[in-house]
Parts: sequence; C-alpha cells; structure tokens
Amino acid sequence: MGKIPPSLRPAISASFLKKPPSHVPAESSSSTLTQFPKPHHFPKKPYKKRPSQLPGKTKKSQETDSSRMPNALTFFKSPNISDAMKLFSSIVNRNRAPLDLRFHNSLLQSYASISTINDSIAFLRHMIKSHPTFSPDRSTYHILLSQSCKNPDSSLAAVRQALNLMVNDGLKPNNATTDIAVRSLCLAGRLEDATELIKELSLKHSVPDTYTYNLLVKHLCKSRSLGTVNNFIDEMRSSFGMKPDLVTYTILIDNVCNTKNLREVLELVSKLKDEGFKPDCFVYNTIMKGYCMLSRGSEAIKVYHQMREEGVEPDLVTYNTLIFGLSKSGRLREAKKFLKIMTEMGHFPDEVTYTSLMNGMCREGDALGALALLEEMEVKGCSPNSCTYNTLLHGLCKSRLMDKGVELYGLMKSGCMKLETASYATFVRALCREGRIAEAYEVFDYAVESKSLTDIAAYSTLESTLKWLKKAKEHGLVV
Amino acid sequence: MLPQRIKKTITDNPKKLANLIDLVNLPSTLREFVGQSQISRLQCFMHVWSYIKTNNLQDPNNKNVVNCDDKLRSILLGKHQVELAELPVLIKLHFPKEPK
Repeated sequence: MGKIPPSLRPAISASFLKKPPSHVPAESSSSTLTQFPKPHHFPKKPYKKRPSQLPGKTKKSQETDSSRMPNALTFFKSPNISDAMKLFSSIVNRNRAPLDLRFHNSLLQSYASISTINDSIAFLRHMIKSHPTFSPDRSTYHILLSQSCKNPDSSLAAVRQALNLMVNDGLKPNNATTDIAVRSLCLAGRLEDATELIKELSLKHSVPDTYTYNLLVKHLCKSRSLGTVNNFIDEMRSSFGMKPDLVTYTILIDNVCNTKNLREVLELVSKLKDEGFKPDCFVYNTIMKGYCMLSRGSEAIKVYHQMREEGVEPDLVTYNTLIFGLSKSGRLREAKKFLKIMTEMGHFPDEVTYTSLMNGMCREGDALGALALLEEMEVKGCSPNSCTYNTLLHGLCKSRLMDKGVELYGLMKSGCMKLETASYATFVRALCREGRIAEAYEVFDYAVESKSLTDIAAYSTLESTLKWLKKAKEHGLVV
Repeated sequence: MLPQRIKKTITDNPKKLANLIDLVNLPSTLREFVGQSQISRLQCFMHVWSYIKTNNLQDPNNKNVVNCDDKLRSILLGKHQVELAELPVLIKLHFPKEPK
C-alpha cells in the first residue's frame, strides 16, 4: 500500500484552496471552539481574503438582495425584453407603496440571469424612464457588470460596455467594482481578460485592493505557469506600485509546494523576509504541507521546530498537517507523540486528526485498531466524516476484513456518503476476490447513484476488476 | 479532483475511453433489445444490467448467476445461464474493435 491514500487528499489538499467558507469569522477564529466545525479547511487565506472588509458596501447589498427576495428570481419566465417590460409595468401598477432601490435591483438581477447583456441594459433604461423615482446606484450597475463577465466566450467589449454605462451615469468604479468584475471573470475561467481588466481599471480609476489582487494571483497560480504569475506581479509593482503582501507570498509558496518544487520555497521565504515580512503560522503550515505531501516527515518536523523558535504559535492545522504527514510516511509513533503535544497545548483533535491517524494505522495493517479509534473519537464527541469512513473502508478491505468492511459500507450508505475512487476500487476488488460479484455490482450501482464517481469511472473499475478476476482464477490464485 | 482524473484517463488512454462511450451502430439483435439504433458500450451495459434487475433475473440461490429469459438469451450467445462476472465480456462481443 505504497500509494497516497486519496481518502485523505480531500481533507488536506483539495478543500484547501477551494472557496472561502461563506461564514466569515475573520479574526474571531482564534478561539478553538468556533473553528471546530470545519477546521480541515486550512483556514489560511480564506479568512483573510474575504472581501467583507471592503470599503464599498455595494457588493454586500447586492448579495442580500438576491437572498432576501428569492421570489423575484422566478418573476421572469422569458428572456424577451418586451415581455419583461410589460411585467414590470404590471408590478408597478399593482403596488401602491413606493418601490425602493433594492426591489429594482432584484428585478434587474432576476432578468439578467436569463437574458443577454444588451437586453438587461435596455430593461434598466426602461425602469429608469418609466419610474423616475428610481435612481440606480453602484450595486445596480454591478449586476450588469457581473452578468457581462459571466459568458465564457465573449470578449471584454461587453464588460467595457457595462463599465462605460456606469461612468456615463456619473458613478466612478471603485474597489468593489474591480473586485466583482475580476471575481466573475475568474469564475468564468477568463484569466487573461481579468488580468487585462485589472490593469485597465488601475490605469483609469483606482488600484485594486489586496483582496482582489490576491484573488487573481491565486487563480493565476492554479492554472497558469509560474512565469505568468511573476509577470503579473512584476507589472503591478512597476506600473502601479502594488506590492505583494504576506498573503500573496503564502499563495505563491503553496503553489510551488503543489508543484513539488521545494527549493523554490526557500527562495520565496528569503524573498519575503527581504521585503520585511515575518513568516506567520499560515506560511509555516503551507511549507509543512509541502513536505508532508512528499512524505518528508523529518523536514516537516524541522519546520515545526523552526516556527517554535521564531515564536510563532502552532495552530490546529499545524498539528493536523504534521500528524497527517507522519502517518502517511509510516511514522505512527511520532504522530501519536504530536497528538499528545497538541492536546497539551489545548487543541482538540478533530476528525482530520483522527482520520490521519487511522490512515497511518491502516497502512501498518492495523485496521482493527483504526476501527477502535473510530469508536474512541465518537465517544469523545467528534463525528467522523465521509473521508474517515472511506479511509477505514479502504483499510479494512486491504486487511481482508470483509465482514467489517461490508458493515461499514452499510453505515456509509445509510448516511448517504460518497465513495472515493480508491476505496470504491479496493472494495469492489475485495468483494470480487471473495466471489461476491453480485455485491460488487450493488456497490457499482451505489457509486453511480450517489454520484460518487462518474459512471465511466465506476464501470471501468468494475470491468477491469472482473478481467483481473478471470485471469487470477485461471492462474489458480483465487478460488 | 474527479475531472482531473478523467482528463488523465483520456490523455493516457484515449482509445480505451472512446470505445466505452462512442456511439456504435448496432446489429439487429441488439437493436431490438435496447430499442435504439445506436448506443455506446457503457450505455448498453447499463441497459442490460437494469433489465436484469427490473425483471429479477438473478438466481435467488446464487445472486452471482443470471437466469436469462428469452429476450436476454438472444443477445448473450443463447446461454441459459450467465455469470454476472462475465457480463462485461459478453457485451463487449457486440462491440468489436474497428479494423484499421
């Protein structure tokens, strides 16, 4: 079992760079209890990056609009502009009470979600004309702006059109405008457009704030070459005096860690020190993760000691990373030592900690011990997640404890948990080996039904397993 | 994670994936069974497997064995009983490799 257990990947790496959690505890996350529910999202950048502290309240009000008036979303049935105008007049005539800005915005938002940008603009014009008390503010134009960014195939012309409209109506784009445009463009995968637009807006209006800047850097890191990222950073520095901050460096370090380029990490760390930053907990955690993913436990421990020396307080994520890394490289005893240290430091082990330990135990072939740990964690009030179950299922099948495996699978099924690719494959294989083909087919059905895997992936696994079984039978390896 | 994996499968092995999901013109026996003139190997497997399930054709004593009814027999080499384990292979027979 030399492979990386994919069952752990979501806990450590995949969720790591995903969306920031929508609740924004921001600075309050220092208390362990509040961050308990979802600590396996390394709470690094997301907490810092959330634009909740943005100067413009505009974005917020736009968001609340759509959430507070969900009924408006179903108003418009047809993208046809004249239908929309008729509907608007009928609403206006029916309502005696004065309609506020928010109402108009949600109407526009609703219409924008099904129509083209030109029709949305026409609709806005119509609302202004037929209802002179309505004076659109930034949030109104932001609706149009985000709509113009969403189409993955169009050019920047539509975005510029929306921006010009805003400027012509006497509203200067601010940081929130930039953020909305860049965010929507990034979501639509239009990174080149986002880069171009951010430069254009910096030139014409204002420099983006660090949140927008770091967001774009993060997206560029994910899918473009390091050279592109560096070019962007250099250009922003030389043209607009926008310097990378500690978060930017953390993103960069994380990126080079993911590409397994650890020598570059040291270079980046010295660079950030040159710029007068002091590495914080997030930076260290990221570096440590880099080593752990490569199963280089000793280096990870070295990073831990270094951060202690520098006076940086390790957090839950630090310990989880260490325990994960040590378990992964088969150094279970040390992992358990750190479990002790972390409880002494006042951190409660969570499902990620336990899952990492179980993973380590399964690697050593001690699946029953891992199962016992499951009970222990539940007694301590920590509820396992699907990753925990997948790890255990994988381990039990590897240790050929099929009865326990099937039982666990039953639990997973009743909890509607998804199977991960590796545990699915191992389980199907183990069932087939025991001649329980019908059950393997049932697991296949569940995997497809629960959308754990695509039917292609699920079927390919089943087919190749059955092929392997036939061969193994011919060679007398399986009864 | 998954899309990446699929991407990898495609780049590693484009042919293998293609012969699983490409639509194929069916011979008349199969056409009658699935009620379509074109189907991919994956869809075909799903179709046969769900046919087995809805008609309860698995042997009650040994679930690994399927007792074929007339309709199923017509596409599975006329066998009266097939093992579930050989189902993919039997279905693959209808999807011969294209000679090139």
